[in-house]
Amino acid sequence: MTINPTLDPTSALHLSEASVSVELETPDMTLNIGPQHPSTHGVLRLVAKVDGERITSVEPVIGYMHRGYEKLSEVRTYAQITALVNRIDWVSGFANEVPFIVAAERLLGVEAPERAQYIRLILTEMARISSHLIFMSSYPLEIGAATPLMHALRERERVLELMESVTGGRFHPNFNRIGGVKPAAGAGSATRKIVQDLPAGFLADTRKAMEEVVDVCDDLNALVTGNEIFQARTVGIGVIPADKGIDFGVSGPNLRASGIDFDLRKHDDYLPYDQFDFDVAVAQNGDCFDRYVVRLEEIIQAARIVIQAIDGIPSGPLQAKVPKIIKIPEGEVYVRAENPKGEMGYYLVSEGGRIPYRVKIRTGSFSNLSVLPWLLEGSLVPDIIAILGSLDFVLGDVDR
Amino acid sequence: MSVTESPSDTPADDETPDQAAEEAPVEADASEEAVSEDDAKDAAAEPGPHDAFAAEVAAAVGATSWSAEHRNVKVKVPADKWLEALETLRDRGMTFFSFLSAIDWAKEVAVGDPVTDPDALEERIEVLCRVSTVTDNSAVTLSTDLPTDSPSLPTAVGIYGGAEWHERETFEMFGVDFAGHPRLVNLYLPDAFIGNPLRKSYPLLSREVKPWPGEVDVEDMPSTENTEAGDTAGDADDEGDAE
Repeated sequence: MTINPTLDPTSALHLSEASVSVELETPDMTLNIGPQHPSTHGVLRLVAKVDGERITSVEPVIGYMHRGYEKLSEVRTYAQITALVNRIDWVSGFANEVPFIVAAERLLGVEAPERAQYIRLILTEMARISSHLIFMSSYPLEIGAATPLMHALRERERVLELMESVTGGRFHPNFNRIGGVKPAAGAGSATRKIVQDLPAGFLADTRKAMEEVVDVCDDLNALVTGNEIFQARTVGIGVIPADKGIDFGVSGPNLRASGIDFDLRKHDDYLPYDQFDFDVAVAQNGDCFDRYVVRLEEIIQAARIVIQAIDGIPSGPLQAKVPKIIKIPEGEVYVRAENPKGEMGYYLVSEGGRIPYRVKIRTGSFSNLSVLPWLLEGSLVPDIIAILGSLDFVLGDVDR
Repeated sequence: MSVTESPSDTPADDETPDQAAEEAPVEADASEEAVSEDDAKDAAAEPGPHDAFAAEVAAAVGATSWSAEHRNVKVKVPADKWLEALETLRDRGMTFFSFLSAIDWAKEVAVGDPVTDPDALEERIEVLCRVSTVTDNSAVTLSTDLPTDSPSLPTAVGIYGGAEWHERETFEMFGVDFAGHPRLVNLYLPDAFIGNPLRKSYPLLSREVKPWPGEVDVEDMPSTENTEAGDTAGDADDEGDAE
């Protein structure tokens, strides 16, 4: 694909460059963006100093959604905390639960049965697909393309409905338990002593849905990727060099778009990803366009993983044997997971009781957003939207 | 497995009871327990998979103690070696900045459960910084102890750019002063906010208003006039919470 060089914003021929260079005084002006703006995915305020169309410095103001989950976790039992952590990154609620529960399991010394781990893995990947499909709908919309939203949200709805059929919740599943997963919704009465499991037809429906997700990715690819306007707005914009990203703790698709082949699904073992064949999506330029391309590829790879997991899901119990009142032994543990937004981890400190002594929640969006002042410096005001959208953060994940 | 003061020594035998307690089965009779204790002894005698790595890192940064329990390689340094240790870690390939935060080890807590043995506890603010590589699964949690009254550390912004926001968060939540930080102001909290919410001495307002779980929060239903019936319902609720 070739891009019209005159549309390259770094080139001197760029339209906005021309407007800056006319003989006008453009003294520093403070431009307030947000806190309410659709492209901020929550409530984010940017205080930008601009010289004409160019940003000289920007100060993100966060904390509008700070709910204090770390403090709240210090007065709740482990089972109650899973209901909280759902709400950190609400577009992939299920994925937030897994590292927390695995952290508690490691301290307790239990491991979920294989079937429970497969169910966790399937639902985590479905959460990734639904999160990235939100990106696929909102990002082109912010750039000015409304149609992809219809395609992406239709598939996302299908995925969410399937997740709901298992967990009982579209956004906040609260489905993981220490030692396994909850007996599935729709699988029968919770009081009868029959084996509670995935609802009938779930595996077949999910398999079909995953094939359709891959189809819709082809559609999105055809609609958006080669679009000249989309490329003009994203190629070469908001470049995060790999070393800068690592230094700031940028993780997930944002880091892989900068050429770093690092994926905790390959490098860590919080779920049995080593049993599946999938590729890590990596791009080289680290610009907005590459971040989009990486996410599109990740949807396809996630669908691949889900299909393999459905084919290979073992039978067996959903719960390991755990005490009725769970007291976690003394100790400290950090479990991180490759969430749709980046590395999410819980540093869990237990003093042997029913409630943790300290829970530090490391979220992907927080570190991804911390690179913003550096990233926006020197860019153009219209590019703010393209850059913000491409980082794919959620303010609930930033503020916690 | 953890070692204090002498990184090169093999783990001591006094680890065994802890290990056994961790691995004790949920429902076990006496004979099974004996077997599991033996297993635990064997496990304690062998170094864990991350012990060698932890000992090596500890030696490199001049640590006073290290541990590698639950695959969490944690290395403790004195506060005056904090920056030096971070630099060493970065130069050894731990270039990825994961997080920086703190733990308030306090004898008395305003909310939540206290530590197991408050009398033996040394009150302190423990600052944690976790860094990792982007090529494999190795990662290090660097830790240092600061006095609770006036915790202060030099800023790590010059070593890891990502430390800037994390230090601001630790500053407002724990009151840790990061000397030399370019902009040490509140991150989440309003500028006029007083107090450090994640300190254990800081009360949680919602708990002040309404203790929970299951303490005195069961009120009689408007139609219930028999107080004894109300008490029974309260007991049932307590059990529900325990589960």
